[in-house]
Formats: sequence, C-alpha cells, structure tokens
Amino acid sequence: MIQVRELTLWFNEHEHPTINKLSFDLRSGETMLLLGPSGSGKSTLTCCLNGIYPRELDGEIAGDIHIFGTSIQDTKPGEMSKHVGVVFQDPESQFCMLTVEDEIAFGLENIGTPRDKIATKIDGVLQMVGLTAYKEANIHSLSGGQKQKLALACILALEPDFVILDEPTANLDPLAKQAFIQTMKHIQEDKKIGLIVIEHQLDGWVSFIERAFILSKAGHGVFDGSLTEAITKHADLFQLEGIALPSITELALQACDNNQAAFSKIPFTYEDFTTHMSYLDQTFLETTAKKSCALEPIIEVHNVKLSKKKQKILRDITFSWAGPSFIAVTGANGSGKTSLTRLLAGIEFPSAGNIYVNNRSINQWKQKELRQQIGYVFQNPEHQFITDRVFDEIAYTLRLRAYPEATVQEKVHQTLASCQLQGMENRHPYTLSQGQKRRLSVATMIVDEQNILFLDEPTFGQDAASTRELMHLLAARYKNGTTIIMVTHDMDLVDKYANRVVVLKNGEIVADETPTQLWERPHLSKWNLDYPTRIKLKRHMEGSHVCITK
Amino acid sequence: MSALLNNLNPSIKAIAVVIAVCLLTFVFDPFTPLIYGIVVILFTFLFGKVNWKLYIGYYLIICLLSIGMLWTSIAFADEPTNPEVTTQFLFWELPKENVTVALSLTLRMLTFAALSFMFIFTTNMVHFILSLMQQCKLPPKLAYGILAGYRFLPLMREELQQIRAAHQVRGVRRASGIKESIQQYKRYAIPLLAGAIRKAERTAVAMESKGFSGEKARIFYRQFRVTFIDWLFLSSMIMLLIIIVAISIKLGYFSWYKGQF
Repeated sequence: MIQVRELTLWFNEHEHPTINKLSFDLRSGETMLLLGPSGSGKSTLTCCLNGIYPRELDGEIAGDIHIFGTSIQDTKPGEMSKHVGVVFQDPESQFCMLTVEDEIAFGLENIGTPRDKIATKIDGVLQMVGLTAYKEANIHSLSGGQKQKLALACILALEPDFVILDEPTANLDPLAKQAFIQTMKHIQEDKKIGLIVIEHQLDGWVSFIERAFILSKAGHGVFDGSLTEAITKHADLFQLEGIALPSITELALQACDNNQAAFSKIPFTYEDFTTHMSYLDQTFLETTAKKSCALEPIIEVHNVKLSKKKQKILRDITFSWAGPSFIAVTGANGSGKTSLTRLLAGIEFPSAGNIYVNNRSINQWKQKELRQQIGYVFQNPEHQFITDRVFDEIAYTLRLRAYPEATVQEKVHQTLASCQLQGMENRHPYTLSQGQKRRLSVATMIVDEQNILFLDEPTFGQDAASTRELMHLLAARYKNGTTIIMVTHDMDLVDKYANRVVVLKNGEIVADETPTQLWERPHLSKWNLDYPTRIKLKRHMEGSHVCITK
Repeated sequence: MSALLNNLNPSIKAIAVVIAVCLLTFVFDPFTPLIYGIVVILFTFLFGKVNWKLYIGYYLIICLLSIGMLWTSIAFADEPTNPEVTTQFLFWELPKENVTVALSLTLRMLTFAALSFMFIFTTNMVHFILSLMQQCKLPPKLAYGILAGYRFLPLMREELQQIRAAHQVRGVRRASGIKESIQQYKRYAIPLLAGAIRKAERTAVAMESKGFSGEKARIFYRQFRVTFIDWLFLSSMIMLLIIIVAISIKLGYFSWYKGQF
C-alpha cells in the first residue's frame, strides 16, 4: 500500500511549498480521483509517488511516502516502477523507441524480464488494451488515443501494483476518450490494480471511482472521502478551487437550484440519474435556440483543397459563413480541423481553391491588413509570446500600428481588465499560470479589435475556473460583434455557446448546421463525436420513470 | 538481390566500413580507390535491399560535389615539382602530378561515399544503436538518449514551424538582412528551447517510470549476435582491398600516400 505522511515539498525558486503537509493512504486495489486546480501540485505528487523526487528534485522535501514499507528516500532509479506506473498527459513525449513492440519491450528489459517471456507479455498487454493489430506499427503513425493506450500497455506490462493516470485523455476526441476510460475500467476490475486518476473532466471516471482526494491551490489536502460527500457537503470547495464536477452532476445541481429538479442522492452517471432522480422539469433541458444575428458574409470558401506530402488533408471544401457568429469546428483527432482554420486565417495557403475574407480574396489582402481583421490563438500560448513583459506583449500590436502612447496605455489596460489579467503587467509571460497564459494569448489577439478570432482548442489543459473565465471572455467578444471560430472537442461548450457547428471527417465537411440540428442526427459516433450532457440526459429520461413535468 | 547486407550485424558492418576507409587513406594512386569503389557499389547492388532511387539521388549529389573538388584541386594545386611532365586531361594539357593528386582525392571521396552509403542504406538506425550497446558496450544512458533524440527531431521541426506561424500572426515582420534574421532566430529560440527542455524532461521522467536506470547489465529483447557471416563479410571487405592493391601493384599503378598534398 501507499502511505503518504505529512509530505511537504518546496521548489527552490518558489516562495511557498507546492505540496503542504499532505497525508493519505491508498490500499492495494483501491481507486481514487486526485482533484485540484492547475498548479496545486498534482503532477509533483505523481513524481514523488514514482520515485523521481526527491532524487531529481531541485528543492526540499519533508515528511515521507512509504510504498509497501519502502521509503521513497532510499529508492534507486527505476526501482519504484515495479510498484507505481504512470501514464502522462502528452502522448508525444513519453516514448523513446520507434515501434509499438520495441516500446513495450523497453520497459520489460529495464526490469530484467527474461528474454523468452518478453514476447508473451507484449502480446498479452496489447490484447488487454486492444492494440494487437498495431504490434509492428510505427508509434508516429498511431492516433492520440492509440498512443495513450500504448502508454498504458507499457506500464501494465511491468505489472505494477498502482497505476497513476495524469490527465491521460486531455488530448483526445470524445470517442477516443470514452474508449480509453472503458479500457481502463475493465482492466482495473479484472486485475484489481490500485488506481489514482488526475483529471479535469470527471465524466466516465466517476462510474467506477468513488473516492476523491482534493488538493487546494496552496497544495493542502482539503478533502479525502467519497465524491458524493464532497459534492453534497463541500460544493463550495469545487467552486472555490475551480474544479469541474461531472457534467451530469453540474446539470442536476443547477436544475435543483432553479427548483426544477429533486433527487435522493446526487447523480454522477446516467444510471445514477435514473435511480436517484425523483423529478426533473424537462423544460430545463430545452435551451432557447441561440439566435444568430449573422448578416454579412465574413468568410467564403470555394473548392479548397490541401495536400501535404501526397497526403490529402482537406478535400474540396466549400462553404460561406456570415458574421458575427460563434462557430465551433469539431471532428476526430487528425480530421483536418487545425489545417482548415489555418487556411482561413491566412497562415497557410491551400493547394487549390479560393478563400474570401470580408468579400476579398485572401491573396489580395496584405499580411498587415489581414492581421487587423483576423486574430488566431494557437494551441500552445507560449509560441505566440515575443516580449518579456505582459504589458509589452499586449501593447506590441498597438505599437506596431504606431498608436500614440496614451492610446496604447488605455487600450492595454482595458484589455487587461477584460481578460482578468490586472496586476500582471510586469510579469514575464512564461511565469503565468496555464489559464493566465491562455487569456494573455487571447488578449494579444483582440487588442486591435480584430473582427474574426480563431482559437485552436483553447480549453485544452485548463481547469474549470480558467475554462469558465475564458468562455465568458469569448461570449462577451461575440456579443460585441466579433466572429469567434473555435476548434474544440467539448460538446458541452458547443451546445452552450456556438450557434453554428462544423464537423470534419477525413478532410471533408460532413455537417455544417446549428448545434440543435446536429444533436438531432443519429450516430455522431461515426464522426468520433458525442452528444452533450443535456441531450444525452434527455434521451435517457425518455426511457425512464423520472417525472418530467411539474 | 538478396538482403544479406541488411541482415548483417550492424556493428560489424560499421567496423568493416571504418577499417576499409582507414586502409584506403594510405593508398594514393587513383586506380585502387576507383576499382574498390566500383566493387563496393556492385556489392551493395548484389547483396543489399536498398532504396535505389534515394541511393542514386544522393550519389549524384556527391558526384557533383566531387567534380567541384576535382576542379579546385587542379586549379589551385601547389607548384608541381616536374612541370614538364604533362598529360592530356579532357581538353587541357596539365602537369601530370597535379592531375594525379586531384583524381586521387576525388576518387577517394567517391569511394568513401560508396562505403558509407552501403552502411547507411542497409542499416536500421535503431538496430545499429541496439547493436552498439550489445557488441561495443555503448552505455545504455547514451544509447537510449540518442534514440529518444532521434524521435524528437521531426517534432522540433514541427514546433519551429508553429512558432514561425504564431509570430507571423502577431505581426512580426519577415526578417530582411542578416542582422534581423539573427534577431528573429533568437526570438524563435526561446520558445523552441523552452519546449524542447520540457519535452526532454517529460521523456526522461517517462523513461524512468518505465524502470529505466541506465544500468549497463540489461536484457535485450532484440538480440544482435555476431555470426560467421559477419566475420566473413568483414574479412572479404579487407581481402578485396588487398587483392585490388595487389593488382594495381602488378599493373604498376600503385603508390603509397607520402604526404603528396
């Protein structure tokens, strides 16, 4: 078992400890959700549990962790891997070999598995995660979801007693995400592995994990117990620390607050919902259709194609979008979403076809003028930073346009306020938190009052509070007449904010309609998508006894 | 075509190439490297499974380079000791000494290229590194570091493209002139390095949580052994060179390298 006692950890340059007097026990075979806002020390704790810290730590550690009686203070490199395995968030940077087979063999070689047993073990774990057909495949050719399953397979091959999943599905599309959670669930039930799951989005996990351990921003353990208790008794904690509830729970609580629902026990899953919900007013599940006031054609695309290295990335795309709109672009990993938005923003150029922005061919726009029309927020905010101060970062574009300094000051302060970055003016952009970095990258793209704003998966890796703040900011921009075009996998966001949704599959547009129309289609899973919670719940209720009228 | 060359032990193949290159540096006449080069190319043709299009493409580039080298070493040769001994070279009457030096340098380069191509085009990089660990006792820390780095290169290139596009969107002007270009690359360097360091750290952590400790004694799933065929290959590569040297001595072409240039 894992015993954490009074664990405190300081990094050298930090004023406050990242982890503060943390204590808990995890028995073999037990499962636990580790919750907390970004920067609360979840990943640091992971490093302690698998023996990377204190050996590799630039800082100090107090207290101790014992794993099956052995202190992490006296482990040799690699030794903890026999007890604790970790699947990390980024699918790209956790492999060191080129093929699936070699990667799994790497771990087995490390722990000294006899050579004649390695092949059997590889086949065994590949079957467990459903990757048998990819044994000899190049890791580079796998999809994000397959890479995460491979990472899991590598860890399972070592037969650890505990597995830690550190936001394993953050990069995945809805279907891949569900598939990963299901795989993990079956393996856990089958092998009775101890499991710690770190996630911002709890849907799916709550169907088989009940215990929750909550970390505060300051790295304190503020709650340890059942998730039900946490939500019923400490709902404010979730709000305060910016932790997302399972989407169905959030919906039920909202309805309850409006006196439109009643339940005996708080629901986490659809099954819970049918069992515990005594009443829900169905009108709560209807949204007023978001009226689009789109009038002017803003982007038109005729027969656009894009190929790279003989690979067709976009095939014959034609559409016309009017503005102002809030458009969501969605589809499976690798379906061409990012490529499409890059073409539309004039960052890349199509192999064939025409694109018109504000009724003018994109080739006729001068780069400088186009940038005054279009803002583009990249997936990694750091890529866009060019100065050493938050203030200069926002002022950069304004100064390029040679505005008088007084106007620059005024506009920057306005933007700082609207992006909730006041007081950060003199910080270095790299030292901001994930959420702040994201808002800063948005700030730099709206300061010049661009009327089209592209965002590439802006909520990726953000905790609930940052996501909320960001979406408020975008909704406000949209109200002021900016067209927002957002690449996302989050169907609840699409449902809540977008008034038009575009679905891509293998480089083709397969749907371009209002979200309401999209939810009426059967089988979204063929596009690797899912329905938003609201719709799923509605469907679920139709077949259940829950009273739907007052 | 067989895949004999592809199935050889990569370390022994590398050693064979290195020995051949070293021995060739002692030879100075143009005849020996010319014949040996042709034999090596034939060898690659006959016993290797090679991407010929790529092979020929790269070899043509080397040929172009060597023509340039031939030209410069003739044009900028040292003052010949016997300027009266001349030879007809294409359309020119040139000192024989200079032509010999230039030809010998060029052919030597072409032969070196043929040797290294024989290795590169028939060897899987991962297998080579695994074999270096098993046969040549390369420390695993270094070896797996190189393998992880090998995976990183395409990722780094992608990231640089991303950063370039991201800066372009910010309205950063495309650099004109050397000074601006340097400044621009400085600006790219910070996010690129920050990203690379973070990725490297993540990979290192992931490797360690798979139990990697860098210990020298380890089990290998893919074992590379040295067999009779490998030694046969090594010795035949050297024997061939010796035979060709013998022939060129017999024909009177041979000369040692005695610091001619």
